[in-house]
Amino acid sequence: MNLHVEGLKADYRERPVLTGVDLVIASGEVVAIVGANGCGKSTLLRSMARLHRPAAGRVLVDGEDLWAMRPGDAARRVGLLPQFPQAPAGITVEALVGFGRYPYQGLFRQWSREDEAAVAQALRETDMLDHAARPLERLSGGQRQRAWLAMVLAQQTPILMLDEPTSMLDLGHQVEVLRLVRGLATAGRTVVMVLHDLAAAARYADTLVALHDGKVLAHGAPRSVVTAQRVRTLYGIDAHVIAAPDDGAPVVVPVVA
Amino acid sequence: MSATRSLYLVARYRAWSIRLPRRQFVATLACAAALLALALAALCLGDTRVAPPDLWRALTGQAPGWLNFLIGQIRLPRLLAALLVGAALGVAGLMLQTLARNRLASPDMMGINDGASFAMALTLLWSPAGLLGPWWLALTGALVTVLLILVAAGGIGSQGYRVVVVGLALANLLKAGFDLVLATLPAMHSGGLFVFSVGSLLGRGYAVALPAALGLLLLLGMLLPWVRTLGMLGLSDDLARGLGVRLPRVQLAALLIAAAMAGLAVSVAGPIGFVAIAAPIVARALAGPASLPLAAAGLMGAFMVLAADTLGRLVAAPVEIPAGVVTGMLGGPFLLWVLLGQRGRRA
Repeated sequence: MNLHVEGLKADYRERPVLTGVDLVIASGEVVAIVGANGCGKSTLLRSMARLHRPAAGRVLVDGEDLWAMRPGDAARRVGLLPQFPQAPAGITVEALVGFGRYPYQGLFRQWSREDEAAVAQALRETDMLDHAARPLERLSGGQRQRAWLAMVLAQQTPILMLDEPTSMLDLGHQVEVLRLVRGLATAGRTVVMVLHDLAAAARYADTLVALHDGKVLAHGAPRSVVTAQRVRTLYGIDAHVIAAPDDGAPVVVPVVA
Repeated sequence: MSATRSLYLVARYRAWSIRLPRRQFVATLACAAALLALALAALCLGDTRVAPPDLWRALTGQAPGWLNFLIGQIRLPRLLAALLVGAALGVAGLMLQTLARNRLASPDMMGINDGASFAMALTLLWSPAGLLGPWWLALTGALVTVLLILVAAGGIGSQGYRVVVVGLALANLLKAGFDLVLATLPAMHSGGLFVFSVGSLLGRGYAVALPAALGLLLLLGMLLPWVRTLGMLGLSDDLARGLGVRLPRVQLAALLIAAAMAGLAVSVAGPIGFVAIAAPIVARALAGPASLPLAAAGLMGAFMVLAADTLGRLVAAPVEIPAGVVTGMLGGPFLLWVLLGQRGRRA
């Protein structure tokens, strides 16, 4: 499914944050939105996930206006993992993942065979089957993030939006989660995520969207987006951009002052 | 997947399916069994003790006339009133706690009971005979209170938190209003209002219990379509909205239904405290974290109010201790135990 953002403007606390964003995101792409703190990364993601109502512009999923849909219909197209998700205390992984089936359920459609299969599939894809019966609180940071991803996967949406999915994780768990996210895209899903770690974004995303002053500064493959000049514009620092020894992905090394 | 089968009971027929967490199902049955046992005991015990075989005869109308009257016209309607009040408080409390994601949110804390009581008290100012107003006045008072809270809080707001805090402030104002009425009334009328303000089931008959039963059934019917969505409120707001939950609407519906239930309870028995806090906490502890144990909370609330009323009748007989005093005496320590006992467990 294609995702189009047309002329998106959004305010936050009556201050304009996005001043006209246009984006075309293709099916199966992993897109990372990068930029400085407060540049509107999260607001853009939240506008695309129906959490922040834009002041102007449209978000189209296969040509359909996401903001004009009923909430349930939208929730079958776009899944969202917020930055700090919270679940009821003591809940098990399996029960948590079951929440992802809400958009498919009804008063007397509380747990269909499809629901059951989707939960099992999501647990399998995130390699969480063995932890299904464990309480969320007892998991390691990486496992916990995988459990949350499983919940969003159970929603079976073609588009996934992830807000800083690795912000609380150490390097090992970051890599674990980002590899998993890459794997999800190979299965045909579109993934849009906010990452403030430019290095991780350049390494694991197909496409980077660099936001600056409420507009898209650059949009494209990491190698074309990440240049010393852009790093300077985005973050106000001088840095070397070198190529990773294996695949040549850009690596940002700040200049010693 | 075998893990799914262990956590939930699922019944399916064609496209329809019903799911219940297994533990919640067991907890609900246990609450129902305990309530049934207590109800039988409550009917037998009192100034006049009735042996179980005689109780059976009285319930089926085969006992001597005085016994039929004692059971059928005095103890049974009072029992019914206690069950209704408790169930309404238990369910209302669970809904408010879920809504606010806070175990201290309840109609007592948020001023809803105070608003209902205040409305009842106001009627006395215009009643030369000193009669409390009709039952729907308490319900109206409760709903008006919630609307005031919403206006003052500027809507439900994020996480339902603000609503609780504003309610807390409003509760004191409404309490003061109630006390003002109490202070200005002639002494012969203020006594009745005082007993009402404590929460008591003394002398409640079918005239009170039947309309309340109807009202509660109606409210439970209104609640039914929201139950599934209420279960989603344990998730943070962004997550719930991302899953398609219509957030302000669900919260508003739940808040209004909960307020109406609390108002109904107050209209029958006055503002009986602590039950709306304690019953959902106990129900949740029994039913486990992955569920919204509405039935168990209702049954547990009914159990608590009936137990308080029955204890109040028995402990100092022939003097009756109002149910609201009993719940207060037991509820205070319970709350302390919950708050202090959970300190170590919370992250």
